[in-house]
Amino acid sequence: MNSSIVASVVFLKILDFARRPASEQARMRAQLEAVLAVVTADIAPASRIVVEASDGAAVVLIGDPISALRLGQRALTAAAAGLPLSGGLNHGALQISGGKGAEGLRGDGMAVAASIAESAAASRLLASRSFRDALADAAPGREAELVPAGTYSDAGLRSHEVFAPDDKALARRRRRYAAATVALMVAFFGAGLGWRVMADGNKPFASPEMANHYFRALVQRVSY
Amino acid sequence: MAKKATKIGRYKILGELGRGAMGVVYKAEDPNLDRIVALKTIILTDDAKGRDEYRKRFFLEAKAAGKLNHPNVVTTFDCGDHEGMAYLAMELLEGTDLRTRMTTKGVTPLEAVDIAKQVAEGLAYAHERGVVHRDIKPANIMLDERGRAKIMDFGLARMRIADHKTSTGMVLGTPRYMSPEQIAGQPVDQRSDIFSLGIVLYEMLTGTRLFSGEDIHQVEYSIREVDPVPPTRVMPGLPAMLDFVVARALKKDPAVRYQDAQQLAADLATCLAELRSQPVPASAETEGSRTVKLEPSGDKNVEAPAARAIAVDTRLPLSRLLDNSAALKRIAGARPGELAHTPQSVGAVRRLFADDAVRRLCLLSLFASVAGAYVALI
Repeated sequence: MNSSIVASVVFLKILDFARRPASEQARMRAQLEAVLAVVTADIAPASRIVVEASDGAAVVLIGDPISALRLGQRALTAAAAGLPLSGGLNHGALQISGGKGAEGLRGDGMAVAASIAESAAASRLLASRSFRDALADAAPGREAELVPAGTYSDAGLRSHEVFAPDDKALARRRRRYAAATVALMVAFFGAGLGWRVMADGNKPFASPEMANHYFRALVQRVSY
Repeated sequence: MAKKATKIGRYKILGELGRGAMGVVYKAEDPNLDRIVALKTIILTDDAKGRDEYRKRFFLEAKAAGKLNHPNVVTTFDCGDHEGMAYLAMELLEGTDLRTRMTTKGVTPLEAVDIAKQVAEGLAYAHERGVVHRDIKPANIMLDERGRAKIMDFGLARMRIADHKTSTGMVLGTPRYMSPEQIAGQPVDQRSDIFSLGIVLYEMLTGTRLFSGEDIHQVEYSIREVDPVPPTRVMPGLPAMLDFVVARALKKDPAVRYQDAQQLAADLATCLAELRSQPVPASAETEGSRTVKLEPSGDKNVEAPAARAIAVDTRLPLSRLLDNSAALKRIAGARPGELAHTPQSVGAVRRLFADDAVRRLCLLSLFASVAGAYVALI
């Protein structure tokens, strides 16, 4: 089998794995496997591939960056109890090669995700620019959930712009858009009103009796 | 050495136990203490200047080894020189060496871990006293009848290696069990012994040679570059923790290896407890040699690299625990390019329809502008 795909990769890395005693390594590995079993349970088996690394694991999600982001966040949350994980999200090209039963995955998609996970601190999930673009493509607006978290250079001196998920970023964006909507509405309506005032001068839009009646009714309602 | 020795120093020779590159090992009697010992002789060089230097170094090493008194280290009683040869009087053990045991009866995983643990404890004791073995290999590990492992020849490897380097520029000894730093001729410390013990443990567990080759260069290349197949992939019944123990003991970089043999012994003790708690399979035989068939060295046996080492062309194996066949089937059945869709930038029209916040802003602004126009014009 030798196929190329473009997919989202969630790389989960156990921090300082190599320096830990083997008993702890075995325990952490078992914990990571349990976390993976839980977080991949609600993903269709035909949409995910799980690969092993000596100090972690990666889940490849075919055509589903939204699930990749959610999986990464859930994995870090699930692992908070005693498993120091960091995560890297990337969207890129992958190649599946090898004979039946001996398949393996390689490619830029995996390398960048691993490199980002390597640079992330404990319990931190970072995403690449291409992952953010893929998220925007899959669900326009969701990319706002990933906020800029700086840049770094990997071992090959390649610069990566990284983004971190921010739970409140979507709410902030909604508020900003709501404020802009109100401002635009006031501006458009106010412009119309201004036009009318300019055109008709002091001529009232309604008769003073009618305005007085409605004003009194309003004052009464508010008073009681 | 041409004539048959009957007495060396004060020791009365009772018989020959074996011959090695450095000299002969005799069974001898110490008349002063009425004790039977193993007397290891080392031929000194003919060159007078070289001999003095060698002799000096030999006594220094022998003194250091003589200070070691541990149940897992063969005790050195005495040393001296006699008619152009140096000798060491050591504890005589009834039993067999590990190399012979591995090639005849074989070693069960439980025994392998137990032996490695004992050797690690012996090494930890020696390392604490500043003595590094430098030639840990199955032939230098003695097993007595009660299953106790004892390390032999402390300090002698240094003599041998130094001697070779000064005389021929070659590294003799046992390259198959050397650490990468030892092969590179760099200074070695206790971590080199840990690497060698890792190889011994691996070979005991799997029954296969870890680093082999047609010549010394191939062996050295393997030691420097080749990552071993995890033992559980060769012998699937082994506890998974042994993969981590072996992998850590066999790290090429000493900085990420076990830093002391005590850590290794502690991990092996945990593995031992796990192995002892496992039910013995009915087919498990302790008698007779084991033949293990290694799978061809395909990619599936290669240990997965760490995140730091993953490059574009690094191939990661698929998980053995989670089934990936459905996804692989989907990919295999996909049309060319179907699953290779690269993200497109989101245009204004698409965003207007797909992004709630943008849609709301546009619709309400449109409504406000219509209302404004109504107020202005009607």
